[in-house]
Amino acid sequence: MNYSLFDFFTDPVFRAPTIGSMLMCLASSLIGVLVFIRRRSLLGEALSHATYPGVVISLVIMSLYFPDSEEKAALGILIGAFAFAFLGLFVIHQMETKLRVKSDAALCFVLSSFFGLGILIASRIQITHVSWYKKIQLFLYGQSATMTDIHILIYGALSLLIIAFLLLLFRSIKAIYFDVDFTKSLGMRVNFFENMIFLLLVLAICIGIRSVGVVLMSGMLIAPAIGARQYTHKLSLLFVLSGFFGMFSGFFGNYLSVFIPLVLQKEGEKTFSLPTGPMILLFAAFICALSFLVAPHTGLLSRSMRIIQFRRKCVVENALKTLWKKGIGEGAKKQAIFDGLKITRISSFFVLLKLVRQGWVEKLPSKNYQLTPFGFEYASRIVRLHRLWEVYLVSYLGQKVEKVHRNAEEMEHIITPELERELTELLKDPKIDPHKQPIPAKIGEL
Amino acid sequence: MNEEILHIENLSVNYDKTAVLWDISLSVPGGKLIGIIGPNGAGKSTLLKASMGLVSPITGKVEFYGKPFKKVRDRIAYVPQRSSVDWDFPVTVFDVVLMGIYGKLGFFKWPKLAHKEAAKQALEKVGMLAFAGRQISQLSSGQQQRVFIARALLQEADVYLLDEPFAGVDMATEKTIITLLDKLKAEGKTIFVVHHDLTCVDKYFDWVIMLNTCLIASGPVEDVFHAENLMRTYGKSAILLDEAAKLSQTKSAGL
Repeated sequence: MNYSLFDFFTDPVFRAPTIGSMLMCLASSLIGVLVFIRRRSLLGEALSHATYPGVVISLVIMSLYFPDSEEKAALGILIGAFAFAFLGLFVIHQMETKLRVKSDAALCFVLSSFFGLGILIASRIQITHVSWYKKIQLFLYGQSATMTDIHILIYGALSLLIIAFLLLLFRSIKAIYFDVDFTKSLGMRVNFFENMIFLLLVLAICIGIRSVGVVLMSGMLIAPAIGARQYTHKLSLLFVLSGFFGMFSGFFGNYLSVFIPLVLQKEGEKTFSLPTGPMILLFAAFICALSFLVAPHTGLLSRSMRIIQFRRKCVVENALKTLWKKGIGEGAKKQAIFDGLKITRISSFFVLLKLVRQGWVEKLPSKNYQLTPFGFEYASRIVRLHRLWEVYLVSYLGQKVEKVHRNAEEMEHIITPELERELTELLKDPKIDPHKQPIPAKIGEL
Repeated sequence: MNEEILHIENLSVNYDKTAVLWDISLSVPGGKLIGIIGPNGAGKSTLLKASMGLVSPITGKVEFYGKPFKKVRDRIAYVPQRSSVDWDFPVTVFDVVLMGIYGKLGFFKWPKLAHKEAAKQALEKVGMLAFAGRQISQLSSGQQQRVFIARALLQEADVYLLDEPFAGVDMATEKTIITLLDKLKAEGKTIFVVHHDLTCVDKYFDWVIMLNTCLIASGPVEDVFHAENLMRTYGKSAILLDEAAKLSQTKSAGL
């Protein structure tokens, strides 16, 4: 059997689970952004576990009274989960405000006690009602394979509700979450909106546990938001990206849980399937990890690139400084330049080549090297920064004269033109550094 | 100009059972630059918050222009403490300033070009226009404070309530802010500033409210800002009240 990506949207077997999971992931990744920027990630974890006893109890009730109706059972479970999540939220709130329990302790307490209660009831059923127990188990790690079109409808409606809410209240959310007191002073009914957001969070969790399960739900809330945060500082973009990451995870989680077994399966072996929930979450985590690596500004790759560039800049500028000290006229021997740089001969050679190519340095007929007028200007500025900084350290911070050179060696590559201007102003444009060396004048003021 | 702007009558605020403000009554005329001073925990910020209804008092009433705060909200701009918000929050400088228009615009309408232009002007006034597109976490504390003030300027209010605008900011920012406040005063606005540094009080303000849970004094700087009142504001006499309040709190909580 072979399925194309497209088949997952049309095939009657895969359609419902795929689209259902995508919608569910969309909803949870959007709400997840709110939880994430509010720094309340653990709340999702506690509430998703709190739904478990609700799921178990309502499944028992539904199986007793409506044994034949799948739709009613699905709805009943949603209501049961919702009720218990709210109960959990209420308990957390009461513990925090009335009993002065610290937030993390209250969250842990609700998480473990509610979840424990669920497990207790479930294990009682395990012996007497095996088929019920199997259904309950699905909610632990999630199982999207048994979803039908009715689920798409429910999840689609809820996702739309959440998107509509976000669009309508985007600016209010931004204002409240950034600065509560200010927003209150404008006359915003902050509590009302905060409660609305809690309501949506609980809703998103209740529909999400069907796909990824109680245990993994909080990851689905947070992972897309963390990934998206690496790319943007804009709240609107954060929502959009997070939503996309969520949907990707929903889709590829389903796809891979079918595709990977097909690849791994050997001839004649029994077919097996991977659970969708963990697969969805793993894919979300993968996106997250990838973002940490490749994000343009905060990513590890681009950061190490910038570090390397900075080091190169330091080496180049040190070489220019060495040449500057030799002055204009005879130039300097290759070896003399290499000795000034504390790197290997071969890299020193390349640095020198680069300087010539970039026009800072020229090769004299005597095979000596010398700064071009441009190079001389550039090098003067570095020496100037070095000596200015030394003056600052000695006269303003009271450092000892013999100790300031090392620090200035570093700062000469870092100081920006603005800082230079401020330093010049503060120190009244000094002409001599603490080692009695002249400070080159500012460029353009020669 | 000397219309009564703020009138507070018998205002008391408790956090749990501990008194933070106790029976404050005062009136302040308009067009002044008013310093609210007192030691840590004296209820300076609470006075601002209570007058806007952000914390609810146990007794007392507050009126701006003879009306409760809710009726004159549009005429009042609030600048919270810089440290009260999360500066890692994903918004840009411009976004934050634009929030100043939300009060007039309502929360459901999108800002129009005119509002955005006004926001830019507000940023220009505090010398931060070049930073409009920056993410707020990249700002220094002085720059953060300027952004907050730009947001208040956009509200085009008649009364400004600033909570510790000079806390932890550089000299240049302090100068910018005080010049700006003086300018606002010259336009006939009234500005309340919670302040903790005593050295500049007589230079910056023309009216002071001296607080230490109770009101010590409220009046023109030259009349009330003297050693005796300072002694009463910063002296040890209030500690007894504090201890008694804490005792009463533990008793009533059953601990």
